Amino acid sequence: MSVNPNDVRNLFESHYFLFAFLSSLGTLQIAVTSSGIRGLWLTPYCRVTRWLGIFCIIMGILIFFGQPLFVDGPWAEGSVQAESTTREWGIASWDELAGARNVNDIHGGLDGVDQAFWFSLAVISAFAVSVFVGALSVKADTKEIRVDAKGDVTDGLTGLGHRSYFSNLPISMRNFRLEVRKFWRDGVRSADRWSLIQLIFGGSTE
Amino acid sequence: MNSMDASLLIWLNGLSGNIKFLDDAMRLIASDYLMPLAFSLSMLGLWFSGKTSSQRLTYQITALIGISALSISNIVVWTINSLWNRPRPFLDHPDELNLLFYSPTDPSFPANPVAIGFAVAAAGWTVNRKFGLWLFTAASLYGFSRVYVGVFYPTDIVAGALVGIAVYRFTSYLRRALEPLVPMLVRLARGFSVG
Repeated sequence: MSVNPNDVRNLFESHYFLFAFLSSLGTLQIAVTSSGIRGLWLTPYCRVTRWLGIFCIIMGILIFFGQPLFVDGPWAEGSVQAESTTREWGIASWDELAGARNVNDIHGGLDGVDQAFWFSLAVISAFAVSVFVGALSVKADTKEIRVDAKGDVTDGLTGLGHRSYFSNLPISMRNFRLEVRKFWRDGVRSADRWSLIQLIFGGSTE
Repeated sequence: MNSMDASLLIWLNGLSGNIKFLDDAMRLIASDYLMPLAFSLSMLGLWFSGKTSSQRLTYQITALIGISALSISNIVVWTINSLWNRPRPFLDHPDELNLLFYSPTDPSFPANPVAIGFAVAAAGWTVNRKFGLWLFTAASLYGFSRVYVGVFYPTDIVAGALVGIAVYRFTSYLRRALEPLVPMLVRLARGFSVG
């Protein structure tokens, strides 16, 4: 490969982030619709949100693996051959597309650590988008949800079944502060005999 | 054993070059990006699944163990690699293989991508047999595709699968040794409205 691996890596990072972001957003939407966590839905409608999630995943895959057709990169001429070092910078043809993304990490592809970093960032971004759009979607669907949420003290994801993230967060934080010591004590007490934590802290929590 | 391993690899890799669609599909499945992302997404989905809070707690603890097992699998494979540097099959049999992938430079045994796939699949299996079966199928297909494109021996795949499952079992015990740290982490996440 006649190009700098860092240029290839930069290209892969941006493409992979978009791929991971769309796929994470889609997965998140499918999961929250199946478990009724309305505070994170992108639309007020369950079925629409779920299909939107499926659409996001498919788009993520199509964009990532289809990008070499439109974006210049290390996939032209020779990408059908195994060795990524023989490739030239340019766009891929349809025939070369399936193997275009197969670039060794020493030549600019992403290794496991890079992928873990960009995936984590993509998941956080997808969650943030779901939080903000979910808050709008809850607002658009207030009547029914307000009735459900009246007198409700549930928190965490269960609380998000009725509230937006922003309404739910103070309740979750308050409950956490109130319960954390008891939760820890009970956890240490009920831990099985394998627990090193029980061995260390077991006596002090009695 | 080694010659059987090589014969099986050469036979499986020999299937390539006949049907372009199959070759392309295997190149896509063998990619470094598609299946690893699918395994990570399965754990993300598991975290947000569950209809009741107790079911959700079980799923979230399992997702944490699955993600930890995925990371520990990498360390175990790296350790085995540093003890035994088995050459890649395309180096041992350059004239008999049709290489459809780039030439990886790390050792062949055990297959790292398969180890992470099986670690995640084992996590899925413990919470839902059907979900686990899908993940095991995906991990097996990933392993098969890596043999098909000529970058692993079949025994690398089997060893990778065993490493993945064993590491998941080990991580489950590790969780018990660290009890109640893992539920505490989930409780902390609930405090931030993400658990």
